[in-house]
Amino acid sequence: MPPARLLAPALIISGLSGLPLAYLLLRALGVDLASLELVMRPRTVEIFAASLALGIGVGVGSIGLGLPLAWLTTRTDLPGRRAWTVLTVIPLAIPSYVIAFAFIAALGPRGALSEVLRGFGLGGLPSIYGFGGAVVVLTLATYPYVLLSTRAALLRFDPSIEEAGRALGDSPLVAFRRVTLPLITPAIAGGALLAVLYALADFGAVAILQFDSFARAIYIQYRASFDRSLAALLALMLVAVTFALAWLEWRVRRRHPHVNHAPRRPAQPVRLGAWRWPALGLCASVTTLALIVPFGTIVFWLARGLAQGEPLRIVASTTANSLMAGSLAALVAAVLALPICFLVVRHPGRISALIEGVIYSAYAVPAIVVALATVLFVINVAPFVYQSMLVLVLAYAVRFLPQAIGPARSSLLQVGPRIVEAARTLGDRPSAAFRSITLPLLRPGLVAGMALVFLTTVKELPLTLLLGPTGFDTLATAIWGAATEGFYARAAAPAAILMILSGLTVGVLLRAEEPVR
Amino acid sequence: MKPTPAPPAVRMNDISKAFGPIAALAGFELEVRRGRILCLLGPSGCGKTTALRLIAGFEQPDRGVVEINGRRVAAPGSSVPPERRRVGMVFQDFALFPHLTVRQNVGYGIRRDPDRDVRVDELLELVGLTADAGRMPDHLSGGMQQRVAVARALAPRPDVILLDEPFSNLDQALRTQLRADVREILRRTETTAVFVTHDQEEALTIGDEVCVMSRGRVEQCGVPEIIYAEPANPFVAGFVGIANLVHADCRDGEAHTRLGIARLIGPRERQPSGRALAVLRPEHFETSEAPDGPAGGDGWRVIDRRFSGGELLFEVQGSDGLRLWCEAGPQVRRLTSGDIVRLRLRDIETVAFSVGRAAEVPHEQQSPAVTESESSPRR
Repeated sequence: MPPARLLAPALIISGLSGLPLAYLLLRALGVDLASLELVMRPRTVEIFAASLALGIGVGVGSIGLGLPLAWLTTRTDLPGRRAWTVLTVIPLAIPSYVIAFAFIAALGPRGALSEVLRGFGLGGLPSIYGFGGAVVVLTLATYPYVLLSTRAALLRFDPSIEEAGRALGDSPLVAFRRVTLPLITPAIAGGALLAVLYALADFGAVAILQFDSFARAIYIQYRASFDRSLAALLALMLVAVTFALAWLEWRVRRRHPHVNHAPRRPAQPVRLGAWRWPALGLCASVTTLALIVPFGTIVFWLARGLAQGEPLRIVASTTANSLMAGSLAALVAAVLALPICFLVVRHPGRISALIEGVIYSAYAVPAIVVALATVLFVINVAPFVYQSMLVLVLAYAVRFLPQAIGPARSSLLQVGPRIVEAARTLGDRPSAAFRSITLPLLRPGLVAGMALVFLTTVKELPLTLLLGPTGFDTLATAIWGAATEGFYARAAAPAAILMILSGLTVGVLLRAEEPVR
Repeated sequence: MKPTPAPPAVRMNDISKAFGPIAALAGFELEVRRGRILCLLGPSGCGKTTALRLIAGFEQPDRGVVEINGRRVAAPGSSVPPERRRVGMVFQDFALFPHLTVRQNVGYGIRRDPDRDVRVDELLELVGLTADAGRMPDHLSGGMQQRVAVARALAPRPDVILLDEPFSNLDQALRTQLRADVREILRRTETTAVFVTHDQEEALTIGDEVCVMSRGRVEQCGVPEIIYAEPANPFVAGFVGIANLVHADCRDGEAHTRLGIARLIGPRERQPSGRALAVLRPEHFETSEAPDGPAGGDGWRVIDRRFSGGELLFEVQGSDGLRLWCEAGPQVRRLTSGDIVRLRLRDIETVAFSVGRAAEVPHEQQSPAVTESESSPRR
């Protein structure tokens, strides 16, 4: 039994993170049979079908981009493999709604590219809104999941396994299909499922591209009507779908134990020959769509906005809001992460596993659902804190808690209990040992976790939108607001700042990963 | 408080400690005199580390009392926290603070000492690390880390220093050297030390006194020579050194075995009489070459050899299946497996245990070199 001074805070924290979902469930239980009929309404079925189509589209698309890129950058003599690896992974750091914004600001009816084309008397770019746009944008935002997991799998097994296939008479292509592919299938499936999960949970991109998947429908339902039952029901359906997929992903990872023949030597790269031109073409197109279009569009509209005299004062205040919210959330998350880490590392057992499980499953719930559930809970139980900074910061911190726990826990695992005991025999009281030994050794992990929480908080859209105090605009909500209303020039400056902040935070993260010296 | 002028540095009285259903210590007793090095020796899982952690204050006894220099530091329901016990501890994995330099590690426990720098310099010199004061622990060899750990534990001048298998993470050559170094350091600083190990050679070389433990209690305490020459029971005989337990018929202060007669140690009334098991050490035998021919009569077939530097041991088997370990004398050193030797018992003194007591010793607790003569003919 863990000590009460750890268990009590840990129970409260896991309670906080499980509360919104529990409340949603409770409300759904209270829904009468007549409302249950809502589930079967054509509108609901339509949303379900649209989400399913989006999931399938993004799943297929992310494999279509991620698998070839992973193979090209690990197993071939593709020119500039290192550079392509970095360039094709970067989109992971760009929020989906920024890519969506960039696409409508470039290809939309009043977008930059359309304007240029109109200048030449050409018109009629295919519409970026709706299903097609949503699939393209979310595929570009999520293919790095497949790329990274496949890449890791390819780098993990010894090339001699492939060579054995070759020695038994397979051509390179046949050997890939018969030997390599079956070995990396779990990794591909795992990555693709993550991509699908992301797509279904995504709010910003589908909202900007006006595609009615669950996330957007929930938001519209919540905004439009006084009766929130349908919103709550849709949210629960989304949770059910998400958990089913998350369970599937867990099964895929568990059923196929890692192939782990530590490679004794690097694989003999496949010679692409003339095929290197289409290969380079693929890399260049992906980089163009996922990096150059967003950056270029932002720069274009930023320049135009500056020329037209967009007021920068608003940008300054939204930036300040984002920095403040992000820092507060990071700080609170770090404080909340401490008791959880100590409980899990120092007192492993069923209770710790349960508490950790609640916190991590809450993280799997889509943000729009957490936002909705929190709003409903606060309005009904504690209306006096509705739309207060307190609720917003706490919601951020609890939601992103796993990001703070992860690195802090790894650090704590390295501070063996013996080190603390050594300090005790040298005259430290427990509090002094904590201050002078545990905390300094924990610091790199805590800093890394705080940087992660800061980064995701600054990018977070649905929580800010639904829980933020009235008039509290952050970079994320400013981009979203301007993009949905078609003020592209106004969205460009916050988008540029967001990109810079993401870059800085990644830098902090890499610094913190260096060992203690 | 007792009126005696100098209470022992550590006294543990009737200690019991269980972890869940597992009893780590049961009726455990220990007394460490000031300025002495005491070794707790026992197989893994015998509770020796628990005993150490009870002295340090990281565990609390379920029953019994712990005293340090006459001060009661633990009794059921009351306990002095580790930081106020004035004990130093050297951990198995050293537990150096990875974010502090060697100098900061050593000075950690004496932060409020005005003469801190002088004291740290003194200790660094003592352990021979003056030149490495500014380095980080990760950059030191295992042996150097070990010495930092010792210096750090000594810095606050503790009443007693506890060492938990401090050499088990080091390779063999380094171990022998450091063992001597640490003993020398403890001697020179006149520090009382309790030293835990499962390595009997380590215990016998470093301890002024050795306490052999098994299953949560002390089996025997004494100076190393006595522990070796006069083991209190078959377990101690088998755990400390190599012991052949051979059936003997005891009468008139002598043990009559099939290999010869040995005198029994100690007062007559404590000696067993009748059927017993006599402890015969490898060096108790004199070996000579046997004429060629099958192992018959008093011929013993060599079935294994173990060479460790100076001495050569043979495992030999008699015609009835009895196996013994014996020291190979100069005449027979070139013999190999399959050859036949003759054994003769020297004029020795040893101990014997009546057969009933010997039967209590479970097999798995015996060192592999122990030979039970149960296979000798009884029928």
